[in-house]
Amino acid sequence: MQDYDVFSRCHPAVNFLFFAAAIVLTVVLFHPAYLLVSLLCGGAYYAVLRRARCGRTFGFLLIAMVLVAAVNPLFNTLGETTLFTLFGRPYTWQALCYGGCAGMMFAAVSLWFLCGGIVMTSDKFTSLFGAVIPAISLVLVMVLRLIPGYWRKGKQIAGARKCIGRSGAGTRKEKIQGGMDVLMALSGWALEGSVVTADSMRCRGYGAPGKRTSFQIYRFTGRDRFITALIAVTLAAAIYAAAGGSARAAFIPAVSVAEVAGFRPILGLAAYAALLLIPTFYSIREAILWHSLRSKI
Amino acid sequence: MAQFAIENLTFSYPTDPEHPSLREVSLQVEQGEYIALCGKSGSGKTTLLRHLKTVLTPHGNREGSILYDGAPLDQADLRRQSSEIGFVMQNPDSQIVTDKVWHELAFGLESLGCDQKTMRLRVAEMASYFGIQGWFHRDVAELSGGQKQLLNLASIMAMQPKVLILDEPTSQLDPIAASDFLNTVKKINRELGTTVLITEHRLEDIFHAADRCVVMENGRILADDEPKKVGQLLYTQKSDMFTAMPAPVRIFYGAGESGAASPLTVREGRSWLTEKAAGKKLRDTLPPQPEFPEEIRDPALEVKEIWFRYEKDSPDILKGVSFRVPKGTLFSIVGGNGTGKSTTLKAICGICRPYRGKVRVDGQDTAKCKDLFHGKLAMLPQDPQCLFVKKTVREDLEEMLPASCPDKDRRIEDMAKLCDITALLDHHPYDLSGGEQQRSALAKVLLTEPKLLLLDEPTKGLDSFFKRQLAGLLHRLMTEEGVTIVMVSHDVEFCAEYADSVSMFFDGQLLTTNTPRRFFAQNSFYTTAANRMSRHLFPQAVTAEDVVALMKENQLT
Repeated sequence: MQDYDVFSRCHPAVNFLFFAAAIVLTVVLFHPAYLLVSLLCGGAYYAVLRRARCGRTFGFLLIAMVLVAAVNPLFNTLGETTLFTLFGRPYTWQALCYGGCAGMMFAAVSLWFLCGGIVMTSDKFTSLFGAVIPAISLVLVMVLRLIPGYWRKGKQIAGARKCIGRSGAGTRKEKIQGGMDVLMALSGWALEGSVVTADSMRCRGYGAPGKRTSFQIYRFTGRDRFITALIAVTLAAAIYAAAGGSARAAFIPAVSVAEVAGFRPILGLAAYAALLLIPTFYSIREAILWHSLRSKI
Repeated sequence: MAQFAIENLTFSYPTDPEHPSLREVSLQVEQGEYIALCGKSGSGKTTLLRHLKTVLTPHGNREGSILYDGAPLDQADLRRQSSEIGFVMQNPDSQIVTDKVWHELAFGLESLGCDQKTMRLRVAEMASYFGIQGWFHRDVAELSGGQKQLLNLASIMAMQPKVLILDEPTSQLDPIAASDFLNTVKKINRELGTTVLITEHRLEDIFHAADRCVVMENGRILADDEPKKVGQLLYTQKSDMFTAMPAPVRIFYGAGESGAASPLTVREGRSWLTEKAAGKKLRDTLPPQPEFPEEIRDPALEVKEIWFRYEKDSPDILKGVSFRVPKGTLFSIVGGNGTGKSTTLKAICGICRPYRGKVRVDGQDTAKCKDLFHGKLAMLPQDPQCLFVKKTVREDLEEMLPASCPDKDRRIEDMAKLCDITALLDHHPYDLSGGEQQRSALAKVLLTEPKLLLLDEPTKGLDSFFKRQLAGLLHRLMTEEGVTIVMVSHDVEFCAEYADSVSMFFDGQLLTTNTPRRFFAQNSFYTTAANRMSRHLFPQAVTAEDVVALMKENQLT
């Protein structure tokens, strides 16, 4: 799935920086043009990551977007242009615009979070914070391992009990009792396991005096440095433009959106788009590169 | 100077001060030795091994001394003990701390505060030595049991220990993974000179590799000598432990030989037997076992063309499994890991629903039968602990009977007697040994009075003594209660000795079924050690007893 995705093979710090920037800017720059750019770039990267399986998410987000836009005027009746009245309340053009932007923001942020979830795997997350606080990162790692483990064991216990006629099906009371029994067995098993785990940890020197270190499997390479610089430059340009008011937008009482014209606003939007397209750009370049390499063989 | 010197160690747990777990144990371990520690469950092996690492030492009353490198063990600090004394435990799963393979390899080094450069090198080195590169980035949850245990070993070896202590490391593994693991341990001992102390039920794989074999019984050291001499000693003392010896040793003494020159491996046994039989005309006079019938009328279980996959897009696990099990027999299924044996049992129970095909228990379609698990069918899962939900074995058994049952106590007593757990009824299920847990879980399953009993790897982790008890129990169920048993097992020796028929499972299908002698006589790899040792002379002999009987018959003794 991610064979061509260079960005997910970058250092976790780079990934984290990018997604933090993308999500924060999407929320802060509440301007239709910027939101549209964020939405499209997020959609593009999500499509790169998920390939053919992105359709359902896109459909769902589109419906959510339309719904937020349409529903917002029902609650927010401010604004000077009334389109029509519904249940005796004005349904205004300004509230509809605001709803449309809010819908776009919701969809764009969702997309960035979804991409972040795919790229920032649990081990990247823990290794990133392990460098700062080893103890907390270890706890996180152990929890990440135990939760799916408990889930699997719980299912196994329920299956085993079903095979001796204790499936816990039947009346509600029997169901509750059945669930309690599985939980009891699970807690006994977990306790037993945790004793062994504790022994195994102490066997390997956990708690020995001296500082604990954290093994870093990811290395900060030249490419990571380059991408970080790229993020920094585009981010700075976007912030520079936004600080000058090119991303300003007000909806109430009248819609007043900063125009995208002149040097600063155009630079800002272009930089914003460039920033958000970094992962997609690298993926596509890699795909083309491989394709041309293969055709030469 | 000895690496470990144990002098007159006596130890008792606070709960049972009258019966010490270790009695006046003295043992010297030299640098670079490979020592196999054997004995029945509960003979004190684990207690002894845990004394060799201070953080694992149990609480209780202790006398005697343990020296490590000439100084008392507890004077060596945690850092030194952590890196120099490696300890691998039984349960492959619970020993793993982190969620990724690479992280687990580095765990010990992180604790010692190694720098990145050292860690990188050591982790890389271990991954290469143990052949872990292929799954270096994987989640530990995706690994097989054998891989998990290898990872546990590798993550300890990354700390470059001088001594490696292994407490029944392969009891949860299938035989192929187990012998891979034990070969790796042997390689570490031979190539790195690491001292190895290991306890094991499966003596076949370690007996010949060990420099010394230490036998324990009731907390005492019964024997401490070269493997060959230990074999002789156990035979002359008529010890229970003799049944755990590798097949060549048992055949050697069974055939009336004496002395300490017994063969230890199949290869040695084969040449010994060839020498014995040189120039003699041999007769294979074992009573022939009948062919497994083609047509089975009124089967206890009929599985008809079942197909199953775990997810919509995943490959098929079962690809048209079909078989019929005659009533009142022990039907065993053998085959490699991941071929779908356990899934077949789950499909029969309906935990996994096949998307095509039918399962009939006693002529009734299981998909339509409502009270399937009340008196018709029951399964003992691979991990018997899954069945325990109460604080004592007795409460766990009571749970199986309706509260209104008039003769509740009597039925529990009877069942406890049948499964030989009367003395254990008031213990906590988790305090029991593997074999005891197995029998308690079986008692619980049997209280549903099934006519058809499914067993998933019932001999896993049992020593030879408990295996024989289990075989006796199964036999009683079949003859006295008329129960039909279907068993999935890796234990070729057990199937050869006790099953009525053996089936081979491969690639999602049940390929062939035959009576044990006919089944194993055709195989050259998937067969018992006794058969591999003697097949060139007695192709029909599959158990050590068979070989001994034929040797007596042909006057080779």
